[in-house]
Amino acid sequence: MALVRLEGVGKTFRGKGGSWEAVRDFSLALEEGEFCCLLGTSGCGKTTVLNMLAGFEPVTAGRILLDGQPVAGPGADRGVVFQGHDSLYDWLNALDNIAFGLRLAGMGKRARREKAGHFLRLVGLAGQEGKHPAELSGGMKQRIQIARALAADPRMLLMDEPFGALDAMTRAALQGELSRIWAETKKTVLFITHDIEEAVALATRVGVMTRGPGGTLKAVVPVDLPFPRERTSDGFMAVFRQVHALIHAEIHPQ
Amino acid sequence: MKDRLATLGGFAVGFALLFVVWHLAAVYLVHSVLFPPPAPVFWRGLDLIEDGILQEQVVASLRRILQGFLLGSAAGIPLGLAIGSFRPVRVLLEPWTEFFRFIPAVAMITVAVIWFGIGEESKVFLIAYTTIFVIIISTAAGVGAVAKDKLRAAQCLGANRWQLFSLVALPATLPFILTGMRLAMANSFVTIVAAELVASNDGLGKMLWDARLFMQVEDIFVALVTLGLLGFATDRAFRLAIRAFAGRFNPTM
Ligand SMILES: Nc1ncnc2c1ncn2[C@@H]1O[C@H](COP(=O)(O)OP(=O)(O)O)[C@@H](O)[C@H]1O
Ligand SMILES: [Mg+2]
Repeated sequence: MALVRLEGVGKTFRGKGGSWEAVRDFSLALEEGEFCCLLGTSGCGKTTVLNMLAGFEPVTAGRILLDGQPVAGPGADRGVVFQGHDSLYDWLNALDNIAFGLRLAGMGKRARREKAGHFLRLVGLAGQEGKHPAELSGGMKQRIQIARALAADPRMLLMDEPFGALDAMTRAALQGELSRIWAETKKTVLFITHDIEEAVALATRVGVMTRGPGGTLKAVVPVDLPFPRERTSDGFMAVFRQVHALIHAEIHPQ
Repeated sequence: MKDRLATLGGFAVGFALLFVVWHLAAVYLVHSVLFPPPAPVFWRGLDLIEDGILQEQVVASLRRILQGFLLGSAAGIPLGLAIGSFRPVRVLLEPWTEFFRFIPAVAMITVAVIWFGIGEESKVFLIAYTTIFVIIISTAAGVGAVAKDKLRAAQCLGANRWQLFSLVALPATLPFILTGMRLAMANSFVTIVAAELVASNDGLGKMLWDARLFMQVEDIFVALVTLGLLGFATDRAFRLAIRAFAGRFNPTM
């Protein structure tokens, strides 16, 4: 059975200025352990889909099932990595940020710091435990977000363009590390991006969305390439071209 | 450390300049017994300190400020947190805060004296009054400014409502609370002088009033300089506290 099922999910925002259909009839099943990238142009509704799956926003049509149960609000079974750095706690150092979920669960200081230290090293931040977010680079902050989400041991990770604001070199490094961490932890991941290369480099499947309003899933492209991925290989290029053709039609409608 | 020294040096020069300008203005510009130069004021201040009079007034004023300030903060912080956190509380209490914050403490002196007499109670009431609204407003604004993603992140790490408040909203609001306290402290200096001018048996405001009555111009200036220095020192102390509590993790403070 699939871990997550989105069945005919829709979202219409209603406000003073009328209503806005952000997502329409979106259906997707996520299998345990897969790395699914959701690719789409800006404003097509990617974040909205993630917010509904995270439980931050209710669906206005269809339903979302997690382990067969409808999603009703956020919970520790779905770890989220946010696009910006706002979500980190400025008053805590790197280690205590990572340990935050363990603290919420009532774990003692010593035990949680030890466990957080493991995830700190997993994301390649050994030696930075005492620094506060203001003293860390953008890439390091995203590493902390990833470690913080993983430390709480969720069923799945939801990542909203986590590397979107990073420079190309940092982004490539973090993509490689995320691939390695995913292989080590076997977490189910839903990863949102608007970068085709990123999607093909990371995913076992790439879901391509139509452009908004009323974004929906246009096609799902399986990526059967071995890890670590060789970005200049023929196989990589072939998938890239296939995904590119799908997204190109959304960027340049005739 | 080098920065610290440079700052201190800068302050020293700045103050020295202030006294030089004062001296020049008094000696070459105004030529009046009503505007004494710094030197006689300084000697008069030393006399007052030797007699223990100046300290007495300073202690009287500062004690009132401290009591009222602590009282106002103790009430204002939880109220501000409640207003910022719960919509019904905000809707209920906003008319109160919006109403009273436009009635300055100075305007409340008359009722304070009628209600509490000219003793300590009326001063403490006025300081608490001037403190509480500033702190309520900045605390509530701080709660409102907590980044949505901070709360959402905690929710997906399993936080319950109490944890969201105590481990996320409260620490994120702390810099706003401290900044509100700093503003309130500045207001307290204004209010205490006004209150003591009108009705008091001691304090720096009373000293100002008496000096005017007996035309002791030097005494007036001693009181003014003392106020300036006290205010400056208190504000510095607050800034250091804000730096120690909040700036450690937020260099923009
Ligand atoms: N809270 C909201 N109220 C109204 N419209 C919204 C809201 N959130 C998002 N939208 C709109 O929904 C569409 C999809 O937004 P989003 O999911 O953020 O897109 P993206 O794919 O770039 O993440 C956009 O047109 C956006 O303006
Ligand atoms: Mg988005």
